[in-house]
Amino acid sequence: MRARHWIVLLAGGWFAAGAWATEAGTALKADELKAAPFRDAKTVARLASGDKLDILKQQGGWYQVKSAKGSGWVHMLSVRRGEARKGSPVAGLAGLAAGRAGTGKVVATTGVRGLNEEDLKSAKFDEAELKKMEANTVSKDEARKFAAQAQLKAIKLDYLPKPEGGGK
Amino acid sequence: MMRHILCVALMLCVLPAQAFNLGKELEKQLGGDKPAGGLSLGGYSQEEEIAIGRQIAGNILGAAPLAKDDKLQQYVNRVGRWVASQSERPDLPWHFGVIDTNDINAFAAPGGYVFVTKGLYRQLNSEAELAGVLGHEIGHVIRKHHLKILQKSQLIELGGKLLSKQAGDNANVQKLIGTGAEISARALDKDAEFEADRIAVVLAGRAGYDPFGLPSVLQDIAQVSKDEGSVALLFKTHPHPNDRLDQLGQAIGDRLDRVKGKDLEKRLYRIK
Repeated sequence: MRARHWIVLLAGGWFAAGAWATEAGTALKADELKAAPFRDAKTVARLASGDKLDILKQQGGWYQVKSAKGSGWVHMLSVRRGEARKGSPVAGLAGLAAGRAGTGKVVATTGVRGLNEEDLKSAKFDEAELKKMEANTVSKDEARKFAAQAQLKAIKLDYLPKPEGGGK
Repeated sequence: MMRHILCVALMLCVLPAQAFNLGKELEKQLGGDKPAGGLSLGGYSQEEEIAIGRQIAGNILGAAPLAKDDKLQQYVNRVGRWVASQSERPDLPWHFGVIDTNDINAFAAPGGYVFVTKGLYRQLNSEAELAGVLGHEIGHVIRKHHLKILQKSQLIELGGKLLSKQAGDNANVQKLIGTGAEISARALDKDAEFEADRIAVVLAGRAGYDPFGLPSVLQDIAQVSKDEGSVALLFKTHPHPNDRLDQLGQAIGDRLDRVKGKDLEKRLYRIK
């Protein structure tokens, strides 16, 4: 009885934690399918560019996927999400919304005010709102304390060089 | 004499910078590495930078006011200031705000003003994703991407005039930035966007977050149809999220494999 209760709670937590219903994806490039979400983990299979995948969940920079070649983890940046399978009840962003409790990802904006180029061009300076924004400013110290509350630790990390040849 | 040469060089720079090595060189020199407060090559002092940013920020708020949720605004300022503290300009007076529109977008103005729309905020699943989004805008600020546009389009040195009126609606600054907040509706060059993406993952990682927050958000936005009104301006002014992911993938390679950051899904403040 008690155990069952826990399972329900865990399932709830899993959804709230950003997991989603299965979504289709495609391997963008050849990459290794790993047994766990890190580079040193055992290689389960090798994915080729264009391989179809089912994305089960995300952890950091990794997707847990199922493919014809096996199941495992592949780096997020080696996968393009989307191209939902036909007949799949959930697809794309709508599918994600279904799996993410409380975020209410409604992107339709019909009848709701947007913010387009014209709005920005014709905008008039709003001193009162700006003062409000400036009043919300947080000091470096306050921010550091806020980070410490969640055990966020600053680390050293170099900036990334621009890719050679600027990409494609 | 020297000044004359610089003037000519700057005029050349008005043409697409990519076309000239000289343009590239100048861009480097105009970069954000100068000491704060220093004036060089027609650049702006930090005070002027803030005055320009303040005018743009006030105009953006004229187009869309702050979301009426003090806890949300405080939360975003805490996360934003912590991420900005990992940059080379930790002491700018950083201000962050969520603006009340369902459009999916984010904006930066010089001097440390950063905006996220409520529409984009609603897409977020974790504090690490918020850190990534803010990191991208912080990247624009620290590399002075908008100031560079102004420097290229305005060869006139306004100098001290910019500061003639510190607070309130500043007519001189407004003259410099054009109509309203149109500068925020203008596209920066693609390289500036890719650079801001690279900075975002690193600043988030330095702050102790999972660096893949921004790529996750980009993966989400890539799923939104181009025809969807809420992303129209974002897609018009930025490379497609898939191109940004592609560029990030090339830049990251295995460089962030050892970084074990936090997602903080539970701490993300949820809009009611």
